[in-house]
Amino acid sequence: MYQYDQFDHAMVAARNAEFKDQVERRLKGELSEDQFKPLRLMNGLYLQLHAYMLRIAVPYGVLSSRQMRTFAHIARTYDRDFGHFTTRQNIQFNWIKLADTPQILEDLAAVEMHAIQTSGNCIRNTTTDQFAGAARDEIDDPRPWAELIRQWSTFHPEFTFLPRKFKIAITGATRDRAAIRVHDIGLQLTDKGFDVYVGGGMGRTPHLGHLIRSGLPGEKLLSYLEAALRVYNRYGRRDNIYKARIKILVSALGPQEYARQVEEEWATLDQAQIDAPHAEIARIKSFFPQPAYADKAFDAAALDRAKAADAGFARWVRNNTLAHRRDDHVSVTISLKPTGLPPGDASSAQMDVMADAADRFAYGELRVSHEQNVILPHVAKADLYDLYRLLDQNGLSSANVGKITDMIACPGLDYCSLANARSIPLAQDISQRFADAELTDKIGDLQIKISGCINACGHHHVGHIGILGVDKQGEEFYQILLGGRADEQAALGVITGKGLSAEAVPAALERLIKLYLDLRTDETERFIDTVGRLGRDAFAGALHEPA
Amino acid sequence: MKLLTANRLTDGLVLWYAGGPDLSGWTEDAALATRLEDEAAAALLEDWKARETEVVAPYLVPLLDENTLVKREYVREHVRANGPTAGQTAFDTARQHQRGEVF
Ligand code: HEM
Ligand code: SF4
Repeated sequence: MYQYDQFDHAMVAARNAEFKDQVERRLKGELSEDQFKPLRLMNGLYLQLHAYMLRIAVPYGVLSSRQMRTFAHIARTYDRDFGHFTTRQNIQFNWIKLADTPQILEDLAAVEMHAIQTSGNCIRNTTTDQFAGAARDEIDDPRPWAELIRQWSTFHPEFTFLPRKFKIAITGATRDRAAIRVHDIGLQLTDKGFDVYVGGGMGRTPHLGHLIRSGLPGEKLLSYLEAALRVYNRYGRRDNIYKARIKILVSALGPQEYARQVEEEWATLDQAQIDAPHAEIARIKSFFPQPAYADKAFDAAALDRAKAADAGFARWVRNNTLAHRRDDHVSVTISLKPTGLPPGDASSAQMDVMADAADRFAYGELRVSHEQNVILPHVAKADLYDLYRLLDQNGLSSANVGKITDMIACPGLDYCSLANARSIPLAQDISQRFADAELTDKIGDLQIKISGCINACGHHHVGHIGILGVDKQGEEFYQILLGGRADEQAALGVITGKGLSAEAVPAALERLIKLYLDLRTDETERFIDTVGRLGRDAFAGALHEPA
Repeated sequence: MKLLTANRLTDGLVLWYAGGPDLSGWTEDAALATRLEDEAAAALLEDWKARETEVVAPYLVPLLDENTLVKREYVREHVRANGPTAGQTAFDTARQHQRGEVF
């Protein structure tokens, strides 16, 4: 993985020293809250419903075992012993003391991490495929490009005060696991360069990004992004926060006109000044080598015997592993969605176990996915059973990846001060309702995504089943959206039927699923395909009790 | 009737005004919060807004006659008073105070 050079170290150290001073001045009353708030937000520190929350970036989701142990240390020492992995490949700690924050940031800096760029109207953490560098369907590795964007964007003076926050996602595989079409800029790596999608996003007015350029050479990525951001920075609506995202500008201008202006801007830029020289791109690429794969003798028959003897293991291998570029390895997803617990939470002990597992079985490397799970990208098949047992002993062997209980849920009204309704307890109820492994496997791939307000942190617009919490005169209500998807055939879900109370949702989902099982052509037809074939209206009735 | 609530500057934890001139007059236990008449509440809010080295983001929570939260505020303030309702939060405020839910 990428290692800081002296500039990175110096910049983070300087920023931490500055923030330490700001915290001290705030505590002494030399800074008012109004003066301090933008400063703390620039360092990822929010004041939430119960306490301060610190959001830490995991650059493009890539994490070393050492960094994971630092998260465990922070959870244990400064928080209530757990952390929450988010859909933006970040981690959030919910119970942080203001006075502890400078020390936490120092602990993070020691493992080359920080909380810069996790808030504010800047270019946020660039997200990418959690299987980057490992997946068999990968065309090119997105991580060096994400790192290049990180270096270009983190302290970019021109883009520190954009009209609104700005999110870039990259995928380098044929399957889009980074939800690129619902980002401000989505980049698809092909063998001809980048396909550039602009103007996607969720929130109040969801949009899918538009393809504005194909085959952009990697060497030209930064200058092209600079031009795209410049047009947005110049014309984005600063007068109205709800219209400030680039999706509004692109749809107001029309994608073609926006693209034309970007090309025009691009032509005027001194591209050679902006684009990274070839040697720098090569240097960054050199930080992402393949691991020194262990040539462990792999005994397929032994794996089959283990699966036959242990049904839980067999199911875990079936659901939680993904084909690797090498035949003798797989990528493993550690599901943070055990029955009845908050999606995306991990205790400090579990974080340590995941770090140990990475060291013992996965070349010290982990990833965070936008589905709020943790990934070991490279695991020798010969080690699978040992890994499984280690995870199983620590409550980390849920075998539900991609299934109905592998839900995304934002923090909602249990933690978030912007929320209208709770998300996590609903996710817990649904997870209890569908706890039966045989049933969830029978249902097959199905993504439920829950947000506690219109901001859409929980990606409800792109859930096969999306759930949006709303407030009706002080009561929590939930609107159900059907038909969304965040993959390479991205689509936005549509609100179907009227809002339901929290108690009514799990039963409504049960009726919906039952109908789907009745209507699907066979067990290979996924829920999203059946909805696509028959239309949402065919399912609307099932969401409501028969009168 | 109203309650006055805020977060403590140093650790951000939720506090409830329970009478008294200084920070020690605030409590983490919402059950002990003082029920304030509307006018007194408004005046206290103004006082405490200025005391930024002690508390931040103070605001008033409206109550019905029977001393319960008005419906519009219910879920949010209930969660603030009792701690998160979600699992893995064995530390929630209610349990710290060794009693059931407030409100
Ligand atoms: C609890 C603290 C949080 C706060 C205060 C917060 C705040 C916000 C706000 C204000 C927006 C709306 C932005 C807009 O108008 O475009 C937003 C969107 C979003 N947030 Fe959060 N959020 C929080 C937690 C999270 C968590 C835990 C996740 C991941 C699980 C997350 C991921 C996202 C994503 C993916 C969006 C997407 C919408 C988009 O930009 O297209 N946020 N958040
Ligand atoms: S969707 Fe709304 S409630 Fe959920 S975390 Fe985002 S801002 Fe908070």
